[in-house]
Amino acid sequence: MKMSLTIQPRFRLPLIVWILLGLMGIALVVALVRYAVGIGPISDLSNSYPWGFWISLDLFTGVAIGSGAFVIASIVYIFELKEFQPLTKPAVLTGFIGYIMVVISLLVDLGHPERIYYMLIHTNHTSVLLEIGICVMSYLTVLAIEFSPVVFEGIKKDKWAHFIHKFIIPFIIIGVVLSTLHQSSLGSLLLIQPTKLHPLWWTPILPVQFFISALAIGLGMVILESTLSSRYFKRGLESHLLEKLGKAIPVILVIYLISKFGELLWAGDLHFLFSSGWMGILFWAEILIGSVIPMIWFSIRRLRQNPNALLTGAIILLFGMILNRFNVSWFAIQHPDPITYIPTFMSNVKYIPTLPEMAVSIGIFSAGILAFGLAAKYLPVFDNEPEKTQY
Amino acid sequence: MSEIINHAFLFDATRCIDCRACMVACSVENNIPMNKTRIWVAGIGIKGEFPKLESASMVYHCMHCAEPDCLSACPVGAYTKRSDGPVLYDPDKCIGCRYCMNACPFGVPHFDYDKGLIEGAFIDKCTMCPQRIDVGLAPACVATCPTDALEFGERADLIAKAHARIQAHPERYIDHVYGEIENGGTSYLILSHVPFTELGLPEIGSIPVKEVSETVMGYTIPFALGWSAVLSAVAAGVHLYNQKNEKRSSAEEKLEDSK
Amino acid sequence: MTSTLSRRDFLKMGAAGAAAVAIGTMLPPKVAQAARQAGLINAEGDGTITSMCEMCVWRCGLIARIKDGRVVKLEGNPEHPHSKGKLCPRGQSGLMNTYDPDRVLTPLIRVGKRGEGLFRKASWDEALDLVASKMQAIKDQYGPEAMVFSSTHNLSQPLFENLLYAFGSPNYGTQRSLCFNAMITAFLLTYGIEEPSRNYDNVEYILMVGRNLMEAISTSETSELSHAIDRGAKLVYLDPRYTKTASKATEWIPIRPGTDSAFLLAMINVIVSNELADCDFVRKYMVGCDDIQEEMSRYSPAWAEQITGVPAATIERIAREYAAAQHNALAHPGWRTSNFINSFQTERAIATLNALSGNVLRPGGCLSAEIEAEGAGLGAPSQPPYPRLSALRLDGTPWKYPLVPLKLGVFQELRDAIVSGEPYQAHGWFISRQNPIQSLPDRTKTLEAFAKMDFIVTVDIIMNDTAWYSDVVLPEASYLERYDPLLPVGDKAYIRQPVIEPQGEAKSALWIYKQLGERLGLGDYFQYEDEEDYIRQQLVPLGVSLEDIKAKGYADMPEKDEEQEITFNTASGKIEVYSETLKNAGFSPWPTWEEPPMPASNEFYLLTGKVAQHTQFGTQNNQLLHKYSDEPKLWMNPKAAADLGLSSGNWVEISSPVGKAHIILLVTEAIRPDCVYMTPGYGHLSKGLKTAFGVGASDSALHVTYTDPISGGQALTQTFVTVKKA
Repeated sequence: MKMSLTIQPRFRLPLIVWILLGLMGIALVVALVRYAVGIGPISDLSNSYPWGFWISLDLFTGVAIGSGAFVIASIVYIFELKEFQPLTKPAVLTGFIGYIMVVISLLVDLGHPERIYYMLIHTNHTSVLLEIGICVMSYLTVLAIEFSPVVFEGIKKDKWAHFIHKFIIPFIIIGVVLSTLHQSSLGSLLLIQPTKLHPLWWTPILPVQFFISALAIGLGMVILESTLSSRYFKRGLESHLLEKLGKAIPVILVIYLISKFGELLWAGDLHFLFSSGWMGILFWAEILIGSVIPMIWFSIRRLRQNPNALLTGAIILLFGMILNRFNVSWFAIQHPDPITYIPTFMSNVKYIPTLPEMAVSIGIFSAGILAFGLAAKYLPVFDNEPEKTQY
Repeated sequence: MSEIINHAFLFDATRCIDCRACMVACSVENNIPMNKTRIWVAGIGIKGEFPKLESASMVYHCMHCAEPDCLSACPVGAYTKRSDGPVLYDPDKCIGCRYCMNACPFGVPHFDYDKGLIEGAFIDKCTMCPQRIDVGLAPACVATCPTDALEFGERADLIAKAHARIQAHPERYIDHVYGEIENGGTSYLILSHVPFTELGLPEIGSIPVKEVSETVMGYTIPFALGWSAVLSAVAAGVHLYNQKNEKRSSAEEKLEDSK
Repeated sequence: MTSTLSRRDFLKMGAAGAAAVAIGTMLPPKVAQAARQAGLINAEGDGTITSMCEMCVWRCGLIARIKDGRVVKLEGNPEHPHSKGKLCPRGQSGLMNTYDPDRVLTPLIRVGKRGEGLFRKASWDEALDLVASKMQAIKDQYGPEAMVFSSTHNLSQPLFENLLYAFGSPNYGTQRSLCFNAMITAFLLTYGIEEPSRNYDNVEYILMVGRNLMEAISTSETSELSHAIDRGAKLVYLDPRYTKTASKATEWIPIRPGTDSAFLLAMINVIVSNELADCDFVRKYMVGCDDIQEEMSRYSPAWAEQITGVPAATIERIAREYAAAQHNALAHPGWRTSNFINSFQTERAIATLNALSGNVLRPGGCLSAEIEAEGAGLGAPSQPPYPRLSALRLDGTPWKYPLVPLKLGVFQELRDAIVSGEPYQAHGWFISRQNPIQSLPDRTKTLEAFAKMDFIVTVDIIMNDTAWYSDVVLPEASYLERYDPLLPVGDKAYIRQPVIEPQGEAKSALWIYKQLGERLGLGDYFQYEDEEDYIRQQLVPLGVSLEDIKAKGYADMPEKDEEQEITFNTASGKIEVYSETLKNAGFSPWPTWEEPPMPASNEFYLLTGKVAQHTQFGTQNNQLLHKYSDEPKLWMNPKAAADLGLSSGNWVEISSPVGKAHIILLVTEAIRPDCVYMTPGYGHLSKGLKTAFGVGASDSALHVTYTDPISGGQALTQTFVTVKKA
């Protein structure tokens, strides 16, 4: 169903916008309640499950989803494959909005969101979370800088856009380094939980595995976002570019699979593959859906060259990789349950996210979609010609 | 003032009768609200089939690790380890991220899920009663334990005492003092007649759990610098290569044109 | 197979919503003025005050820590023999007991109907005048015996007894027949003392029948038992339920309820028929040593196996092990021994076993039969002799129960006499520090007794069930807020002194009794100015000042002369295993087997037993203890539960001949299939107990009244119940 985002003279907004606004409103109400009475009443988080739906979806998945930006940016600006230029702005926009969504969700999840800046003044250099925090904050700045030309062009300040463009390369490199750090650090978050994360996942090379998969996710995201926005904003689809991106995916996934299974072999943990009950099922699901099937899928030219099939492949890849993020941050973690008598402050050994909890994430996500739509509508995010850069 | 160099607890599960005097004493000593607790009871409950039954319970504290994971994980450094034992938490720095709760292999830090922004939601955990140990008293839980299941003192002495106890009654105890080496050593040492996992304690080796995490974090800055250098080199290299190619192709074009 | 006991069973806070309250944010805990005046607090407002706990009858010595003029913590007093520096969970919760928001802090006079809980506040003068006038009116119209006085034994008991006996009433109700009549009567008849003291220093073999010391905590004794086991002493523990003591015992015997005496008699049989006791030695001190072999010959282990379910070989082995430990063996006398009518015989058998092992004969042995007279060595205000009592006691002592000491009485009989009006009708009830509605069996009948009263006055610190149904409630100060008469323990006299300034208008019992006494024209029996004056008079023979004892916490008592000969305060001067006194009263002179009733195939024995976090019915409202308590549930063995189609978490209805209750079921392996267990002391009726109201079910609503004719003890476990899904 094609919907139009044009604003009619009589100020009628299309249904989809109302829905998104509604979801955002619900999320806002839940957040206000959370600020008033605490995280407990509106979620199922507990002393056994300090992190749950928000962290798995908004942080782990959200950051992974924003990986398209640095992948495309490095392809275009470091490897100077200029043909992919048209994909940069939307990818950077997706990244920018994505990372803002991460920060907003942290403002709800943190016990003291008003102290979020403490990460810049009280620093514990052994903390992975600190590194992620600083990196995300810095990268947001970089993304803002990378996206600013689009804004400047939109408000007809082309000279400023060109000015930024002259010095874009260092920022791109900084952006890639920051992205590498925090994409891999999301995996490093789990390094301090060797007794809790199942051996099928825990490994000292978690950060490496996360980085490699972030590359694949980034490519998949670019495919997804380009295809979807071409349908909804009625612009041309650079299928030939996407097809080329798709060609790179199997290579990355092969390396990823080697890192996963090679690690299991080296650590002597292969026996867990078929003896871990539900953990094994989750592992194989994530491997098959997130790596094996996409690896095969994107190797088949016929599928790559069909926009619908390309999209499907990307969705399968993303689903599998998101499952991986959920496994690592939630499903495969053993939550402490000393068999307690009382008081049962560790009683919530089951964790089922509540509706308000999920509503917050859905609302933030809706805001992201809306923001993307607005940007796409009012800013020159999509131009079909490669930038003529002057050196 | 306490003359002890390294304060530690010794808990003997064979003596614990699950009376919970320790918990009441802790609540009063540390002014804990009614809906929270700093120490709790863990154990196997009652195991077996009538009439062959077995039971074990343990008071679960902060372990006051020598190499605390909470301290390593906290982004804002809200945890400190006093040289004489206690691991302390500073609510003034805490941002409520709850990473420490993930990091602690023993599930010790508890969070105020029921407090909003105004009241302030913080972590709470056993502090080893510094207000008591600094004046030479034992922590509240230890002082009141009717069966001396909880004892307190110099860590080295308690370890020796624990091993002596195992020697004296080898049929009674698992031949191991939990906490002697676990996680690089903890200040809560445990003797038990049932496997330690049945008391809810994780199986951990002597290498501190935070070791890998800290090692990887140690590489962050060198890696960042190196990666920047590599990327810059690649970017420069690719750029120069492309420039050369462009010059060559424009030169070739000129040549073509001129023909 | 793991079957956890109370996995994640915990008590939600009551409707009071006191969820976030901490002790320190409650009413400012001002240090008692009396303590300041005695110089116990220094200029900075810091200090310590030595006093005694009252959360149970063990009365551990405590030290209250004061900081900045506020009481912040209670610790055990290392110099007190009952605490030795420790406090059990109830002792540690003492501050909460004082700061309970549901405390009664002004005198209350009922305005609604009894049981509605509608009271109005009154001044002390008005309330005391009303009480005195009502009591006097009853005395004038029906005679002083129409006024019943009951109190659970406490340190102000001598002054309570002054009120009672000076008033002229013989009707004295104490909780003793609901607790240890069997033990005390048996040991009085056998050894001539109420309760032998236990010494664990050298014990090697301990036999316990019930006496769940690891949950019914008597701090120092629990500690000594635990350390004895630690050192290697063997504990054989008889109990139909796997209690915490069972988990520490070397051997747990899940014996059929009511059959302990069969087990013990068989043990005696084994010991005497194999001549394992040093009879030549014990003959000197024991009556019956020559004939005991013949008398006990019928109680073979094989016979006992049929009855108890314990294999004969086990009984034989335990008997031999017990005897082998000689005077380092201890058969524990027990405490609450009000289980079956034959509990008296169980206690007689225990006394016999101890005599046979010789442990009671040697100084420093595991059991000591030394007489410790209460209050001996202390001074007292002078008072006139009591008036002669003419009326019969309503509780049947001694005209119905010839062997029950007057001091113990038969409380349940007293209540029954109030209901029946025989031999005469009582009209008034003065209750102090006691909760008959919760403590007496058959709660419905107790409420009937209350309904028969023209006037009920209760002295207590909180609006418990008995206060809820009273006409006047007089607020007593909590144990942290008051003085009580001195308590001698061992060779010292200990003081209870105010730690916290009394809240509201609460007053000590010493004050209340004197005020009431004076209004009743009995002022001569209360010849002290105030609490401090009373204690000063007590200190006179010790030559110690009040200031000294307040600072130190105790005063040394004059040393007793060393006994050269071991004597027993019995008629013959020896241990009377064979008791002529019993024979003359028409009972078996030997410890003997009396068959207990058994439940039908669809019935269960109803067991109750202590938990470490509570004292009978008095602490369920204490928020700190409530926080750390397991939710009270009905324990049932999985086989029995399966037969009834029940599982954990079901609401069940438990019915006895006198009552019904609804309770949640807990299926657990820790109990015999023919028994169910419920935690005692819950199911409070008073809505004035905001934390406790609505929690759990009342066992006293289910208990049937059965009284042992010898000791007057109530048989709490003789009630059989059926259980079905609610």
